[in-house]
Amino acid sequence: MSQLHFSEAIPLSLYIHLPWCLKKCPYCDFNSHAQKEEGLPEERYVDALLKDLELSVPLVWGRTVSSIFIGGGTPSLFSAESIATLLSGIRSLIKLSPNAEITLEANPGTFESEKFAGFAAAGINRLSIGVQSLDDQQLQQLGRVHDAQQALTAYETARSAGFTNINLDMMYALPKQTQAEAEQDLEQLIALQPEHISYYQLTLEPNTLFHKYPPVLPEHELSAQMSDTGQELLASAGYHQYEVSAYALNDKQCRHNNNYWEFGDYLGIGAGAHGKLTQPALQQITRTTKPRQPEQYMQFMEAGNLETPQVVPEQDLAFEFFLNGLRLNDGVTTSLFEQRTGLGLESVAEILGKLRDRGLLNDDPSQIQTSETGRRFIDEMTPEFLNT
Amino acid sequence: MSSEIPLERIRNFSIIAHIDHGKSTLSDRLIQRCGGLSQREMSEQVLDSMDIERERGITIKAQSVSLNYTAEDGQEYLLNFIDTPGHVDFSYEVSRSLSACEGALLIVDASQGVEAQSVANCYTALDQDLEVIPVLNKIDLPAADPDRVVSEIEEVIGIEAHGALFVSAKTGEGIDELLEQIVEKVPPPKPPEDDVLRALIIDSWFDNYLGVVSLVRVMSGELKPRQKLLAMATGRNHLVDKVGIFTPKAKDTQRLGAGEVGYLIAGMKDIDAARVGDTFTSADHPAEEPLPGFQEVQAKVFAGLFPTNSEQYPDFRDALEKLRLNDASLNYEPETSEALGFGFRCGFLGMLHMEIIQERLEREYNLDLITTAPTVVYEVENNKGEVLNIHNPAQLPESNHIAEIREPIIQANILMPQTVVGDVIKLCIEKRGVQKKMTYLGNQVQLVYEIPMSEVVMDFFDRLKSVSRGYASFDYSFLRFSAAPLVKLDILINGDKVDALAVIIHKEASQRRGRELTEKMREIIPRQMFEVAIQAAIGSHIIARSSVKALRKNVTAKCYGGDITRKRKLLEKQKAGKKRMKQIGRVEIPQEAFLAVLKVEK
Repeated sequence: MSQLHFSEAIPLSLYIHLPWCLKKCPYCDFNSHAQKEEGLPEERYVDALLKDLELSVPLVWGRTVSSIFIGGGTPSLFSAESIATLLSGIRSLIKLSPNAEITLEANPGTFESEKFAGFAAAGINRLSIGVQSLDDQQLQQLGRVHDAQQALTAYETARSAGFTNINLDMMYALPKQTQAEAEQDLEQLIALQPEHISYYQLTLEPNTLFHKYPPVLPEHELSAQMSDTGQELLASAGYHQYEVSAYALNDKQCRHNNNYWEFGDYLGIGAGAHGKLTQPALQQITRTTKPRQPEQYMQFMEAGNLETPQVVPEQDLAFEFFLNGLRLNDGVTTSLFEQRTGLGLESVAEILGKLRDRGLLNDDPSQIQTSETGRRFIDEMTPEFLNT
Repeated sequence: MSSEIPLERIRNFSIIAHIDHGKSTLSDRLIQRCGGLSQREMSEQVLDSMDIERERGITIKAQSVSLNYTAEDGQEYLLNFIDTPGHVDFSYEVSRSLSACEGALLIVDASQGVEAQSVANCYTALDQDLEVIPVLNKIDLPAADPDRVVSEIEEVIGIEAHGALFVSAKTGEGIDELLEQIVEKVPPPKPPEDDVLRALIIDSWFDNYLGVVSLVRVMSGELKPRQKLLAMATGRNHLVDKVGIFTPKAKDTQRLGAGEVGYLIAGMKDIDAARVGDTFTSADHPAEEPLPGFQEVQAKVFAGLFPTNSEQYPDFRDALEKLRLNDASLNYEPETSEALGFGFRCGFLGMLHMEIIQERLEREYNLDLITTAPTVVYEVENNKGEVLNIHNPAQLPESNHIAEIREPIIQANILMPQTVVGDVIKLCIEKRGVQKKMTYLGNQVQLVYEIPMSEVVMDFFDRLKSVSRGYASFDYSFLRFSAAPLVKLDILINGDKVDALAVIIHKEASQRRGRELTEKMREIIPRQMFEVAIQAAIGSHIIARSSVKALRKNVTAKCYGGDITRKRKLLEKQKAGKKRMKQIGRVEIPQEAFLAVLKVEK
C-alpha cells in the first residue's frame, strides 16, 4: 500500500488543448494537426471540451482553479465567440479564482490579431505570442506563416486591445544563425518590452520534419555562447530569469507554468491533453491522457467516456518532481517536495547529497537549488532520480 | 534398419562448400528426396540447428544424417551424409569430418566460382584420398556461368571437372543424378583388417537429458550397448548406453558396425571425455594405436570479456560453463581489469568463433558484455631465458626484462579476380606480409603471403572484403613463431592507464597507431562536464595526445505542458546508455572505445 501523506491543499490549474494549426511547423513535436479545407469544427469541439470538463469535475470537487492556459496548436485560430462560449462554460462548471491568470497562445498573423480585442472581452488576460524570430529569412526556414512586420503589428494590436500581460516566444540557435544575428534578434524583441519572454534553444525533436531532414544548426560552443549572451542581455534589460527558458519583468512570472514546475495539480482537457491530480484520501497521484486525434477525441467525449486515471508509481514521484523543480532558478524548498509528492525527504537525501558533493546543488539544507554549474547541467542531474 | 545393408552398399560423404554456396539447401533437398523427413517435418535447413547458424548461414557444429536410397540398379543403399563446418576457424573439425568419409561433394556456386575456403578443404579431402565429386549449384540463376566455373575448378584446384554435375538445390534440378553419382563414384568403406573396435569421434555435444552425445564413424569392430569403452586420448572408460543413427531423427539401432556412422551415448558428463578426433576402442580388447590425426584444440585468439554490469558476473560464469559443455574449443580463465572489473580471458579458434560465442552469450544468456580487442599468443623470452606465453597485453613484462618477443606467423592463401590484385597486395604489405607465391589461374589469381597473425585478427577480413569489393576469399594456417620488435602501447585517459585498451604492436607502427588511437578515442568519448585528456604512451614516453573538450551545458530547452512521459523516456534511454559506459576515474567511456583499437580506419 501507498505511504504517501498529503497535509496541505495543492493548487489546481486547467490546461485546454486546441490542436489545430494552419500548417505544421517542421520543428514542432506538439500534438498539432493542419487545419482542413472545410474549416474548424469549433462549436463541436467546444462542446466536447465542456463535456470533458463536466466529466472531470468530480475528480476536483470543491477545488478552485487558479489559472487557465489555452494552448495548441494555434488556439487563436478559434473565433473570439468560441473562446467566450468556452470560458463562460468553464465558469459555470468549476470555481475559478477571481484573479485567475487566463492565457491564450496566439500566432502573430494578421488574421489572428484582428481577434485580440474579442479575446480580451471574452476574459483572456494574458497573451502568449509565438514570435520565434524577427528575421524574415529565419521565419521562413522555420516554416512560420507570419513575417517580422506582422509580428510587430500583432504585438501593437495586443497592446491596444488592452493586454497588459504579454509573453513573446523567441528561439535561438536557429539554422546557420550567427552570434550577432541571435543578439540582434533578441535586442529587437526586448525593445518591445513585453512583460514576459520565453527564450529557448531550437532543438531537433523526434517525429518532426527537422529531425528527418536536419538543418545545419550552430554547434555546441556557439549555441552555449548564444545562451550566455541571451541571459546577459535579458538580465540587463530587467528581465529576471526564473526558469531555464523563462524571463519576466517584475512579478509577471507565468503562474500557470510555475504550477507545473512546482508539481501542482492540473486538469487537462482537449485532444491529447495531459492532467495530473493528487488524491490525498487515496494517498496517490494520478495522471490522465485524452485521445490524441481531434475526431477521435470528440467522439470519445460525445459518448460520455472518461478515461481511467493512471496512478503514478511511488518510485517515479521524486523524478517527476525534480524533472521540473530543478529547472526553477530559485529551486524548491524541501517542504514543497514533501508537500507535493507526499514522500519524506529521506527518500531522496542520498541523491541530493551526491549532487551537492558534485557541486551541482547549493549547500542550503532547506532549499534544493541548482548551483551556477548545476544550472547548466540539469539533464545530468534529473536521471539520478530515475529508478532504473 | 541400417545394419541390414552390407558394407559395399554404404556411402559416407561430406559436402565441401563456401558459405552461401547452398550447402544447407542442398542437404535439405537430399533428405527430402530420400524421404528422411515428411513434408510437414521439413523445416528449412534441418542440419543447421542453432539460430546463429541459420542467420549467418554457417554450419558451426557437424551433424550427420543417414538416408536410405534405392538406386537405379534396384538396390537399396545407405547414404551417410556428414555435415562439416564451413569456416577457416574450424579447419581441424573439418579434417575430422572428412576422415570419416570416403567421398566429398565439392559444391561451387555456378555464378560466383571457387573460393579459397573450398580450395583448402578440398585439398584436405584429397590428402585423405577422398573421391571428390564437383557439383555446380544454383544453376538456375541467370548469372550462372557453368563453363567458366568448370575451368576455374580445374585451374585452381586441379581436379577433373568436365563431368561436373549441374544442379539447383532450390528447384531440385539434377538431384537424382547427384544421388546416382554418389552411389557410383564414392567408394564403399574399406573392409576392416581386424574386428578390434576403432571408432572415430567426429563431433560431440552436450544434451541436457542424455549428457554427452558423440557422432562417431566406426572404422572397425562394432559398437553395442553395455560395451565398455576406452577413449584413447584421455584414457577414460565409459559404458555404452545407446547407439543409433540420425534419419535425421535420432533412432536407436542397438548396433553400429564397421563403415557406419551414428551416435553414441555413454553416460559421459563433460565434453572433454569425448574429444573430436579421439578414438573409442574396447576397454577389454583395446586397439594398439589410436586412429591418426588427433590434435589437442588450441585457442589462437584471445580477448577479455567483461559484463558491463558487475552484478552479471555470476551469470556470465554460468553461461560460459554451459557453452563450454558443447564447445571443447572454448577456454576461459578469470581476468581482473582495473578499467572493466571482473571478467574472463577467453580463448577462441579464430575471429568467427569469437563473434559467435560473444553473440550467443549476449543473445541466449541476456548478458551485456564488453569485449576487449582480440590478441594472439606471443612467445616472450625473458632475461632468465624462460619462455612465457602471453595472451594479454597487460601481462607483458617490462621491456627491460624481455630478451625477445616472438609473434605467430600464418600462411595466407588468397584467391581473387585479377582486377583487384593490386589492392590486395597493397593491403598485405601494409599488414607486414611477405609474398611467397603468386599464380595466375585463368581469371583468378592466387596469392600466398606470410603475415603476422596479429595483423590478421586486427581488421584483415573486413579490409580484404572492402579492397576486393567482396571478391577475394581467404584461408590461413599457422606457420611458426618469429621474433619481431614489438612494444606495448598504452592509452591513458585523464592520466589513468586503461589496461583494457593496451595493445602489443610493431615498433615501427607505434607512432602512427598512437595518433590514430588517440584521435579515434576523441571521436568516441562523448563530451563530459570537464575536459578529457587522451594520451598514447610506450612505457613512460608519451607519443601522441588529444582531448575531448568540456561540455558547456546540458539542459533541455523547453519543458512545458503536462506530458512528461516522453521526456522521461528520453532521460531513461540516456541513463541506460550511461550505464553501459565504463567509468575510468571520473570519465565515462562508451563500450565501442574498447573495440576501437581494432577498427581504426585508414
